[in-house]
Amino acid sequence: MWSWRITAISIALLVVVALLAISFGPVEIGFPKILKTLLGLPGAATGQERTLLLDLRLPRVLLAALVGAALATSGAVYQTVFRNPLADPYLLGTAAGAGLGATLAFTIVHGDVYALLPIFSFVGGILAVLTSFFISGRFQAEPNTLLLSGIAVGSFATAVQTYLQQRNSNALRPVYSWILGELTAANWQVVSWSSFYILFSLSILIFISKKLDGLMLSDEESFSLGINPQQLRIIAVAAATLATATAVSASGLIGFVGIVVPHLVRGITHRVTNRSLTAIAFAGASFLVLADLGARTLLSPAELPIGVITAFVGAPFFLFVLRAKRLVN
Amino acid sequence: MISIQDLTVRFDGRDILTDINVSIETGKWTCLVGPNGAGKTTLLKTLLGVYQYSGSVKDEGVEVYQNQDRNVAFVPQQPHIPAGMTVMEYVMLGRSKKDGWGRETKSGRDFVAQVLTQTQLFGMQHRFVAQLSGGEMQRALIARALAQEPKLILLDEPTSALDLHHQISVLNNIEILKEHGVTILSTMHDITLAAMYAEDIVVMLDGRVTLAGSASSVIHSPELRSAFDDRINVYTLDGGRPVIMANKEYLNERERPQTEA
Repeated sequence: MWSWRITAISIALLVVVALLAISFGPVEIGFPKILKTLLGLPGAATGQERTLLLDLRLPRVLLAALVGAALATSGAVYQTVFRNPLADPYLLGTAAGAGLGATLAFTIVHGDVYALLPIFSFVGGILAVLTSFFISGRFQAEPNTLLLSGIAVGSFATAVQTYLQQRNSNALRPVYSWILGELTAANWQVVSWSSFYILFSLSILIFISKKLDGLMLSDEESFSLGINPQQLRIIAVAAATLATATAVSASGLIGFVGIVVPHLVRGITHRVTNRSLTAIAFAGASFLVLADLGARTLLSPAELPIGVITAFVGAPFFLFVLRAKRLVN
Repeated sequence: MISIQDLTVRFDGRDILTDINVSIETGKWTCLVGPNGAGKTTLLKTLLGVYQYSGSVKDEGVEVYQNQDRNVAFVPQQPHIPAGMTVMEYVMLGRSKKDGWGRETKSGRDFVAQVLTQTQLFGMQHRFVAQLSGGEMQRALIARALAQEPKLILLDEPTSALDLHHQISVLNNIEILKEHGVTILSTMHDITLAAMYAEDIVVMLDGRVTLAGSASSVIHSPELRSAFDDRINVYTLDGGRPVIMANKEYLNERERPQTEA
């Protein structure tokens, strides 16, 4: 029963946080008017205000929610699959591969880089993970083999990326700001394609979440419980990687969400099982929407990189919870 | 019945199990004994279906390799202990397949409550498995196996690392399974305990089965002694129970530091 209550609370939290995020910004719009605009009731905002609400703030909040859900859920799944509480969604080279892809976009594309940036980073991230898989012999061995080859592939991609940046110093600044993560490019087009991949992979992960608990046991034990551990690991890692690569290509590298949110939810619920995966997804969404609100408003009208907020606020809060509740026994 | 014919298991070009022919009867407790490295655990995991093999291993007429239509419980010697999982969740994992991997059913929860009572874990269901003592952990493993309502249960050294009190408690729990008609196959270091509980004993040495039969016939056979390099003696107590002891003189002779004559 508790899992339903936790999920309901996390959904309610997301709704509140999202309304809050839509309401705040450099231009003040009354809350009743915002509600009416969102619900399509008479008395809705018109003209510039309407554009501001529906084409700037709303897609940005939705993208933050999608990216937050993707990173938090993938983090939780990686932690289970690799039996490692420190596993994070960028572990298998996704981040470095996507970073290399983005750098390539900035160095070779002339013209509208930002239109092609998601494609370059998405392909880079997926290629890096596939390389890790290929090197590790497709999971025949321990999951740790995959983890180590992910680290090797990641270092290699980072090295190439640094080399490219040295050769093209004009790409340095935009790549750097992309690496810190930003949701400024959010529009309905980005929201629609990223929601397709993210919702697709999160549905798979939530569908198999009960079986994922079996991966916390030895392979022989999970086999006897009716799980095919190798197959399940591949499905889980593939879905989590797809979600992560989409998140990275939509918003750059936003650190900390994939580690903090799963542990936070587990710490509060005192449960490690993946029945809380839905709650983790919604909590991740709320966390990033809130962080983005901070990024937009704290130094308004200037914007902080959202990665700075997630780490700056997330780290102390995480440590506080870590002390208050013993997360890992 | 499980019938094993010409079974050979190789890892990295080396034979771990060679040419095994033996059958394990339904509803009985069969115990695999033999020295370390004899291949007992490998045979157990092959029967579970996780290792590739040549020859044939049939459980009720179907090959076991990667076959998940069977309902086999496995109790490992060294389980991966999941941090942060409660005893209830751990035991409910055994029920998940029956519940269709969806939500837990009430009948499933009731059954697990009954299993927890049977294994004297009731009242501990909200504790973390990582905080259980050795004996409690072993009972939790058996509770998870019971929750599966299996046809066959494979236990790898269920009593090693336990004191005598807990050994007997665990073995009595396994006997509950037998009362439900479950076929039991276990490896066991302690041959005296094996002879006390198991009906059939299979003696293994260097990846081969050297002898198989009823407990009483195997215990008094010369093959058992030779499997252990003649290092054991079998004594019979007044009640007729066999006791197997290490041959102390032999040990002394063999393992005393050699001194110059």
